[in-house]
Amino acid sequence: MKKLYITKKYKIRNKIQAKNSLKRRLAFKVHKRQKNISELGISEPELEHKRKFEDPYKDYKKIHAPSKLSFIENSSEVVEFIDKLKKHYDLKSKVFVVLKDVKEISYDAIVVLLSIMVKFKSNKIKFNGDFPKDPEARKILDESQFLKYLFQQFKESDRYSLGQRSSIHTHAWKDVDSELGSELIRQASKTIWGEERRCQGVQRTLIELMLNTNNHADDEKKGEKYWWISVHHDKENEKVSFAFIDFGVGIFTSLNNKRNGSKFYGVLEKVKERFKYGNNADLLRLILDGTVHKTATNRPYHGKGLPGINMALNRNQISNLNIITNNVHANIDNLDFKIMSNSFSGTFVYWEVNKTNINSHGITRN
Amino acid sequence: MESLEIKIARDFSFSPGPRYIDEGKNSGEQFRKHVLYPKFKEAIKTNIKIVVDLDGTDGYGTSFLEEAFGGLIRIDKLSYEEIIKCLKIISKEENYLIDDVFEYLKDAHEESAK
Repeated sequence: MKKLYITKKYKIRNKIQAKNSLKRRLAFKVHKRQKNISELGISEPELEHKRKFEDPYKDYKKIHAPSKLSFIENSSEVVEFIDKLKKHYDLKSKVFVVLKDVKEISYDAIVVLLSIMVKFKSNKIKFNGDFPKDPEARKILDESQFLKYLFQQFKESDRYSLGQRSSIHTHAWKDVDSELGSELIRQASKTIWGEERRCQGVQRTLIELMLNTNNHADDEKKGEKYWWISVHHDKENEKVSFAFIDFGVGIFTSLNNKRNGSKFYGVLEKVKERFKYGNNADLLRLILDGTVHKTATNRPYHGKGLPGINMALNRNQISNLNIITNNVHANIDNLDFKIMSNSFSGTFVYWEVNKTNINSHGITRN
Repeated sequence: MESLEIKIARDFSFSPGPRYIDEGKNSGEQFRKHVLYPKFKEAIKTNIKIVVDLDGTDGYGTSFLEEAFGGLIRIDKLSYEEIIKCLKIISKEENYLIDDVFEYLKDAHEESAK
């Protein structure tokens, strides 16, 4: 054994370990000295009080959530909030989300909070937060079990399922999961109609969105980005809302970055030439009505991709469809297409299903 | 005329999925390779009709149908005319899917003719 210790390999390893150990001891010495200096002249009871009541998250970057935490009703401020969090995520700095001043939280914002929290935690970046003082806002956060997950560790994993026993279920994965879609719809139909039904328009919407994330959210490689979906069951109003998000490049950036060989390569120039659209809000209209697809392929459009979701709305298979991507927020039901002051890197889609939406009876599973 | 029936909900999956196998479970590619193409080959060989019933599933993404039917021409190199001659689609729950499927076949045919 002794012979081992005098080998070159051991000596190098020992030297590295000693160097690292010295580095750590010196850093701690500096820290301790600074701490002692800062506590000079403070009495013992005062020190104890400080230890007990001083902010334990003082070295966290505090990010204030907007008082109206709703992606649909306050999209610009929520985009700004996400942007700040993203910057700290990229820097790998600890974050404390200040929610105490939030007066209103809508269900669509839950998927934003949960997905960001898991993103930080699974990458071992410290993430914490407080809770709203407003009882209604606090109730919604409780329902999503956000606070429970705040103190939980997350591993980098293929898929996530959160809040299974609450009225807000959240799921995440990278692949297209039609069976999950089917399960979510069956649960939703029980809330809406009191029995299991099939909603083909909702299933199409889910598949197209998961596929868009899988195929287009990352410019370099397929299946790199997560999609997240939160489903909220409103038993009282017999309504279920779906909020879908990915933190990819967003629809317009993705179209812009299409490479030679893609059927959408150069399509924006062609569309601009033919339809003289003004901004991305106009462009989203052209995407949804199939014009961009027709221009790219020179063929009639058959409901592929995002226009397929728009058709599900037109066929009354879904309601209250909202899309937020890059600098556009579109409330498609109301034909309200707005340019936002901030740009969201990703795609967010919200829709609802209620009693008036088209569905099919009959589920026979063998 | 004698016919062969494929009911997707019974013979493949209640929850048809994405386009390609690497994108998720129950893909159009998987359906074409393991169910649709073998039956089509048989139907063409024996000159019988093939009836594909789309009803009873949870719903379809457009890519599933495009890959399943368009892929017969693009990948399996079946002739458009032969497919049209022996294919019948049933879709009472979502009748617009019938037109979509025939358009996917037409598009794939025109694309392959280029």
